[in-house]
Amino acid sequence: MSKDTEKDNKAVDQYTQNVLQNGISRRSFLSCTAMGAAGIGLMGLSGFSGKNAEAAQESHCTEFARSSDGGATLNFMPKPEPIEDSDIAETLTFDVIVVGAGASGVPAALSAAENGAKVAVLQKHPMPVSQGNTGSGIDLKTSDKAGIEALVAKLMNDNNHRCNPALLRQWAYNSGEAVKWVIDRAAKGGATVEDQGSKPQFAIRKVNGYTLNYVTSFFGPKPYTTGDGIRALAKTAEKAGVKFFFNMPASQLVQNNADEVNGVIAKGRDGKYRKFMANKGVILATGDYQNNKAMCDYFIPDLKYFGRKQMDRTGDGFAMAYWAGGVIEPIGHTKMLHDFDAGPASMCDMPFLAVNRSGSRFVNETVAMSLFNNYLRDPENAGHYNQVFDADYMTTAANWPGGKLVPPEGLKNYMPDDPSPKHGVFESQINTHSADTLEELAKKLGCDPATFAASVKRYNELCAAGKDDDFGKPAELMAPVKKAPFYGIHRRVRVSTICSGMLVNENHQALDADGKTIKGLYVIGNLGGGFYGGVDYPLTVFGLSLGRCYTFGYMSGKHVAKL
Amino acid sequence: MNTKTLQKYRFLFAIGLTLFLGVIFTGGLYAAEKKGLLDAYHAENGVACADCHENENKREAVSMVKCLECHDVEELAKATAAVQPTNPHLNRHYNTGADCNLCHHQHKTSENFCLPCHAPFNFMVP
Repeated sequence: MSKDTEKDNKAVDQYTQNVLQNGISRRSFLSCTAMGAAGIGLMGLSGFSGKNAEAAQESHCTEFARSSDGGATLNFMPKPEPIEDSDIAETLTFDVIVVGAGASGVPAALSAAENGAKVAVLQKHPMPVSQGNTGSGIDLKTSDKAGIEALVAKLMNDNNHRCNPALLRQWAYNSGEAVKWVIDRAAKGGATVEDQGSKPQFAIRKVNGYTLNYVTSFFGPKPYTTGDGIRALAKTAEKAGVKFFFNMPASQLVQNNADEVNGVIAKGRDGKYRKFMANKGVILATGDYQNNKAMCDYFIPDLKYFGRKQMDRTGDGFAMAYWAGGVIEPIGHTKMLHDFDAGPASMCDMPFLAVNRSGSRFVNETVAMSLFNNYLRDPENAGHYNQVFDADYMTTAANWPGGKLVPPEGLKNYMPDDPSPKHGVFESQINTHSADTLEELAKKLGCDPATFAASVKRYNELCAAGKDDDFGKPAELMAPVKKAPFYGIHRRVRVSTICSGMLVNENHQALDADGKTIKGLYVIGNLGGGFYGGVDYPLTVFGLSLGRCYTFGYMSGKHVAKL
Repeated sequence: MNTKTLQKYRFLFAIGLTLFLGVIFTGGLYAAEKKGLLDAYHAENGVACADCHENENKREAVSMVKCLECHDVEELAKATAAVQPTNPHLNRHYNTGADCNLCHHQHKTSENFCLPCHAPFNFMVP
């Protein structure tokens, strides 16, 4: 541990310096605020699961913090009263406590156990939970070193240069090993998983002329997902001696007099508190806070009107790490909003005519789907838009970049109105339609038929003129919509995750407002900061998110076990 | 009613619930006259306030453990196995362990927790 501290006290990088300067920490307090119980009742802070929010009301002298500029009072994150020892029904001791059984927590637990630690996992849900299918890493042996650095530079650019390059490099140079390890261990637990290698990464096989090869785990096809994969990995972890506690949401971290974190208090469904003491460290892997309205309104107000893809992501770990002295990345967090389900995923980035919910064209369609949310933030659109094309799309769009066309027969797999049996999709999320008239299609897509018809008419005129006077899309990507049957994919981007979080160092150890490590506290997965930083999660490397979760779980588990 | 007495009623409740759900789900109908709140239904079946709220004079949230004293989630999942388009009591998010209170409320109208994300899951929730 002393080694860590020495290292962290050395020169601080630009990223860390900025977060220390502009991030949010407990450095400044407002205490004994005359905050009404009603106001607190609205916060939906849970733990802190929504149902327990009333606990905060009992305190008349609640401790709040304020933002770095002193202007905003973070009254949605009241510091809970410490749970008394007399309220603890049971105390258990392990080497490592992992909070959260997801794509980073389960790998962390297994990795720690394989390195000799006695491990417990506390999970809020009744089972391990994770989303997505693809997780990626770089195959070091068959990649050019210059290629790895070129990819890191590309990701820095994707992140608007607001991330910690050291963390990107840690993924780049360790992910191949980690993803292979996850594939192997999940398969041992009974998962259906394959290594797709470089196949899905066709666009980044060469970066700046340098060669790269990948390890790409795939748990699928849908409805089988990484959730099933992580549950299989948890079986392997159980065999390795990891003890899982389900329906056991963490409520508070335990800190000693030196503010070192040495345990977690959790609350079972029976309403009783249990204290889990950690000899070596606590690894928080609780995911994001998309279901905590107050946190979202403050840290990422852009998300106000978007639907959520996950449940119970109430920012428990976020609040716990913060109250233990951790620093939250500055406001303007990175978000991830997609819809790969309504129609073929391979067509989501193809520049077909796109209209919003009412039926108006709204963007140069070469914009990536991952960024469309920025044009659909209002309550009316709320992430809804439609990709529109006509009967000739297989020829007119044959040479377009950004994806792969699915022929009309294949589109039926995404059509809820078509009686054909569905394969490899979530049936409750498919939303592709065809119609013989534009009016009928507009109705199926939920657009105003007159607005929709006018948009198509205007678009066809621009196509005929060979110049996109309205949005400047390249002429070769302008294909008119004039021959029946007409097709529409009604996509609705929702929040997959928010991927900004707590300031950590290269060992994933949380730092305090002075840039010093908080002994015993580690943060991984989407709760960990420093890996992104842009407006949106980039789709440059398919499966970067899960690949990062696996890699940092694998590495932090090993690191903490060896302390 | 103490815990012992509750145990006696448990079997009765289980049968009653299975029949009740059977009518609702397999019939695909939820008769309008049954739309009363669940607190009334529980009261009609002999469950007193203090059976759930240990101190009936204090308004306190009730943990799911109370539900489990009478309702077996595994049995429930079996009872609703044929519900279309999917079994609400055995799902990808919680397996059989979803908190009952996500959908089934006692003192206010119940809600279909699936619906905001899964439009085709138009369950009628008792």
